[in-house]
Amino acid sequence: MSNLLGKGMIDGLVVTAKNFVTSYFDGNRKDRLFTYQYPEERMKLPENSRTFPFLVYDGTPDQMRCTACKVCETECPPQCIYIVMERDANGKPLLRPRVFDIDISVCMQCGICAEVCPTNAIKMDCDFERSAHGRFETLLSHLPELLKSNDYYHQIKSAEATRVDATRKPVKKAAAPAPVKPMPTPADILTEDERSAWQRGCQSEIGTGPIVWPPPVVVKKKVAGTNTEQNVSAAPLPTGTPWHDSGIDIAARMELAKDRSLADKLMAAMAQLDCQACGYDCRGYADALASGTNSDFTLCTPGEEETKNMLEKLLKEAGKL
Amino acid sequence: MNIVFLTLSAIMVLGAVLAVTLRNLVHCLLALVVFFLGIAGHFFLLKADFLGAAQILIYIGAVAVLILFAIMLTRNISGTEGGRSSLGGAWWLGVGLASSLAGMMCVFVRRSELVTKLPYGATEEGVVKEIGKLLVTDWVVPLEIMAVLLTAALIGAVVIALEEEKKR
Amino acid sequence: MDAIYQLIHDYCPTMPDWLALALAILLPIAIVMGVFLTVFALLTWVERKALGRIQNRRGPNRVGPVGLFQPIADGLKLLTKEDIVPNAADKVVHFLAPVLVVVPAFMVLAVVPVAKGFIAVDLNIGVLFALAVSTASVLALFMAGWASHNKFSLLGAMRGVAQVVSYEVPMVLAAVVVLMASGSLSSVSIVEAQRGLTGWFVCKPWGLVGFVIFQLCAMAEVARTPFDLPEAESEIVAGYHTEYSGFKFALFQMGEYVAAITMGGITVTMFLGGYLGPGCDLPKFGWLISACWFFAKLGIIVVINIWARGTWPRVRVDQLLGFAWKLLLPLSLVNIVAMAVWHFAPNKLVGWVESAVLLAVAIVALVKINAGQTFEKRSYRFTS
Repeated sequence: MSNLLGKGMIDGLVVTAKNFVTSYFDGNRKDRLFTYQYPEERMKLPENSRTFPFLVYDGTPDQMRCTACKVCETECPPQCIYIVMERDANGKPLLRPRVFDIDISVCMQCGICAEVCPTNAIKMDCDFERSAHGRFETLLSHLPELLKSNDYYHQIKSAEATRVDATRKPVKKAAAPAPVKPMPTPADILTEDERSAWQRGCQSEIGTGPIVWPPPVVVKKKVAGTNTEQNVSAAPLPTGTPWHDSGIDIAARMELAKDRSLADKLMAAMAQLDCQACGYDCRGYADALASGTNSDFTLCTPGEEETKNMLEKLLKEAGKL
Repeated sequence: MNIVFLTLSAIMVLGAVLAVTLRNLVHCLLALVVFFLGIAGHFFLLKADFLGAAQILIYIGAVAVLILFAIMLTRNISGTEGGRSSLGGAWWLGVGLASSLAGMMCVFVRRSELVTKLPYGATEEGVVKEIGKLLVTDWVVPLEIMAVLLTAALIGAVVIALEEEKKR
Repeated sequence: MDAIYQLIHDYCPTMPDWLALALAILLPIAIVMGVFLTVFALLTWVERKALGRIQNRRGPNRVGPVGLFQPIADGLKLLTKEDIVPNAADKVVHFLAPVLVVVPAFMVLAVVPVAKGFIAVDLNIGVLFALAVSTASVLALFMAGWASHNKFSLLGAMRGVAQVVSYEVPMVLAAVVVLMASGSLSSVSIVEAQRGLTGWFVCKPWGLVGFVIFQLCAMAEVARTPFDLPEAESEIVAGYHTEYSGFKFALFQMGEYVAAITMGGITVTMFLGGYLGPGCDLPKFGWLISACWFFAKLGIIVVINIWARGTWPRVRVDQLLGFAWKLLLPLSLVNIVAMAVWHFAPNKLVGWVESAVLLAVAIVALVKINAGQTFEKRSYRFTS
C-alpha cells in the first residue's frame, strides 16, 4: 500500500497544506517567516559583511588614523582610491591626507585596502544603501564622508573593532594640524571637457588641458628643491634629518645621509611617512634596526622593495646580518 | 450572399493564395490556418455548429500541428535558400486543374440529392443527435473501418518507435 | 442576449433598434470580460500569497492593504516597460502571438454559464466549442516560440505543442462521459442534468475519475505546474515567452491565467454542477446566489491549482508524455465503458457498484503495469 501510485503526491499536498495553515498561527516567529520587512525592519548585518571602505578616526575627525601612506592606493586592484598628502606651508608632509577620494562606482568591495592598511585606518563599512542618481554627487566619496568614528566601527563590527583596539599601541600624534581644508573636487578643478572625459572613463585624456588633476604643483617644487639642495650639499648639516620627506626619492635621500651614522642612513632609506606600519615611526625603526633590537628589515610597507633592498644592503655593509 | 459570407470568403481566398505563394513555410502554415478558420466560420454561418467546432478541433488543433511537426523536420524553413519561386514553372497547370475541379464540384453539388436530403433543420439540438444516430446506424460500417484504420496507424507508429529504440 | 435585448426594449422603448442590439451584444461581453479580468487579477494575488505561505514567505504585502493592489502595480509596471523585439525576430508573427494567446482564452468564456440564466452564448455544442477553441491556443504558443528566433523559445514552443496535443486526447475522452450522462453538448443542459442531492457528476464513480483526469489534463493544457515544461525556468529560461517584454509579456501571463480560470469554469460546469446549489432557483436573487455558487466552486478549482503548484515539482518530458499515454488515456477509455455499464444497469445501486468495481480494477491494473517500469537512467545521444 505504501507505494500506491499518487500516495507521495498526496503526502506532499498534506505537508504544504499544513505549512500554509500553521504559518498563520506562528507566523511572527522569526525562524518561520524569516522575511525582514526591510524599510521598517532591519537585519543585523553579520560582522564579516562588507560594502565600501571608510576611514576610522579616534575622538574627533581631526584625529584620523590615516597617515596618507598610500599603501591602499597602491594595492587597490581597480585603482579607485586617490590620496594626496597634506603638507604645511613649507611643503613638509603632515602625515594626513589632504585629499582622500574613493570612487565607489569603481570599488569592487574586495577589502584589500582594509587588509593592507598599516594603521588600521581604512575599514570596510556595512552601509549598503548607496544608490544614487549621479556619479559625482554621491558615488565619489570624499574625505568628510569617508571619515567615521571608532564608535561607529564598534557599532557595526564590535568584535573586530575590539581586536583592532587591543593591537593598536597608544600613539603620540603630533599636535592636531590645521583643520581640514575644503577639498577640491573634480568638478571644481577639471574643465568641462575633462569632466566629460572623466565621466566617460577616459582618464588618460585628463591632464592634457591647462589644469591638471591631481594638482602636481607641490610635489614638483619639492623635487626641484631637493635637486638644488643636493647640488649644494657640499657641507651637510651635522644634525637634523633633511631626508625626512617622502617627496624626495630614495637615491637623493641616501645622498643626503651618506656621511651620517648607520641609524641615520637606515632612516633615510625608509619611506619617511612615519606611518607606524612597522610599529615605530621612521626614526624609531631605524634606531631599532641599528641597535639590533629588531632585525627584521622588511617591515617598511610604504617603501616597498627599494627600501627593503636598501636596508638589507646597509645592514650587510654594517655586518648586522 | 450577405456581407459576413463575402468577408469570410475573401479572407479564405487570401489565406489560400498566401499559403501557396509565401516563401516561408511557417508563414504558409499560418495562412493555411486562416483558411481553416474561414471554413469553420462558414460552418458556423450555416448553423452547422458541430461541424464548425469539429473543424477547429481537428484541422487547427491536430492537422495544423501535424503539418507543423513536418515543417520542423525539413530544411530551409525560412525559404531563403535557393532562388526558385515557390510557384514553379507550371503554375498555369495548377490553376487550370484547380479551377476545373472547382467547376466540377459546383456542378455536382448543384445536382446532388444530398443537399436536400440531409437531416438538417429539425431543431438546433437535433443536428448533433442526428449525426450521432446516423453514425451508429446507417454509417456504422464506414465508421468502424475508419476506427480500425486509425488503430492500425497508431500501432504502426508504436512499432516504428520501438524499432528505433532497439537500434539504439 | 435575447433576454437583454428584451429588457432594453422594455425599459427604454425609445432607444433605436440597432443601438439596443449592439448593447445586447456588447453588454454580456463587457460583463464577462470585466468579471473574469478581476478574477484574474485576484488570482495572481491569491496565488502569490498562498505560494508564499507554503514556502514560509509573506508574499506581496506592500501595495495596498495586504498587498491587494499588487496586480495593478504589476500591470502598470509592465505597461511602462520598454517593448523589445529581437532583431532577428519574425516581426509580424512575433506581434500576433501574444494577441492570439489571449483570444481563445476569452472565447471559451462565451460558453461558460456563470449564473442561472447568464451565459454569453448558449451554443448547442458548448463543451465541444470550449475544447476546440482552447486547443487553438497551441498555435499562438508555437507562433511565439518560432517568431522569437531563439532556441529556448522554440524548444518551449515545441514542448508546449507536444504536451497540448497529447493531453487533448484523454481530456476529450474524459469529457465524453459527461456528454453521455447529460445527452447534450450544451453547457446549460449539462448543468441542468446535474440537479439533485448527489446529482453532480463528480459524485459518481465515473464522474470522479473523469473529474480527476479532466482536471489533470486541464492543468497540462494551460501549462500549470507540475506540467509547466513549456516555460521551465530552470531549463529553457522562460520558454516561448523568453523574448517578450512589457505588455506583450503581460498578455502572455494574462492568457495563461485566464485560460486556467476558464478551464476551471469548464470543469465546474461539467463535473461540479456549475451554478447549481441550494437557493439557486429562488425567484428574486437566484441569479446572484447561483453566481456565488459558481464562483465558490471555481475558487476550489483555482485553489487546487495553486496548491498543486506549491507542492509538486515539475515532471520530466518523458514522464509527462508517459503519464498521458500510459495512464490517463487507457483510464479514460475504461471510464467510458464504466459509464456505459452504469447507464445500462438495472438499478442505480447495481450501476454504482459495477462501475466502481470496474474502475477500481482498471486503476489498480494500470498502476501495477506502470509501476513495473522504473524510469531508467536517461542516456543522451550526443554526450558520452
